[in-house]
Amino acid sequence: MAHILIFKTNIETDTAHYEVASLLNAHSSVIGWHIDKDDVDKVLRIESTIANSSEIISTINKAGFICEELPD
Amino acid sequence: MNEHSFIFVPEMRVRDIHKEKLVKQKAIELMLQDGINGFSMQKLAKACGISVATLYIYYTNKEDLIIKVGIEEGKRMHEAMTKGFSADMPFAEGLKKQWENRAAYALKNKETSAFFENIKHTSYADAIVTEITEAYRPIMKQFTQNAIARKELRFISFESYWSVAYGPLYTLLKFEQDGKSVGNRPFKFSKKIMYESLELVLKALKP
Repeated sequence: MAHILIFKTNIETDTAHYEVASLLNAHSSVIGWHIDKDDVDKVLRIESTIANSSEIISTINKAGFICEELPD
Repeated sequence: MNEHSFIFVPEMRVRDIHKEKLVKQKAIELMLQDGINGFSMQKLAKACGISVATLYIYYTNKEDLIIKVGIEEGKRMHEAMTKGFSADMPFAEGLKKQWENRAAYALKNKETSAFFENIKHTSYADAIVTEITEAYRPIMKQFTQNAIARKELRFISFESYWSVAYGPLYTLLKFEQDGKSVGNRPFKFSKKIMYESLELVLKALKP
């Protein structure tokens, strides 16, 4: 079963999107992902094989972008 | 107590059917109120009393939401239209059933009907129409082909057929929605007026 993880980010530009894309596509636990760049929170939605979000957060943070879990 | 006695259960985001229904209903309401451009995931989450994160469990973005809501409502509408209807019915009986079903749906689901009217001319319409008419088209096509073969229906171009067969009904339903007809005349839809128009339609479509 896939876990859906939702994050608030500042991934706004095409360049940023491209950079994050290469990281997520290479990530072993990521099945699918989507960034809603029209949203104020630039919401990153990830379908993952694991429920823990810390790995994703650190991956995105390391690339220099904000990535925080959006609270339920 | 050892290290295995503590089981870490990750917090899971689960779909909730009731919440999903509320989201759809509010989405339609908001789109009618603010228009499609003024509609946003943030506004919808607020209107539903849920977090934006929860909304993103169901939908990847606004476009995804509009298309999914449209497809689901469209399927529901087409189910309502084919209730008690079959392609083998005599033409007059079948068309009467279609009129009754379509009118009943439109009168009971005024907001959804208005929503479909609103998205008709947007880029969302294509994705929705393709998906929902696929299941519905064969039975309607069979219905008219049977009627033509039995010489109950005049053979004319599809657009002429459709505009004559359903145009009057949708004009009456539009009047009902506006509460007035031509020249601001107050109007209330009734079965009497529906059957009166249907009678003329059936007469016109006879070979």
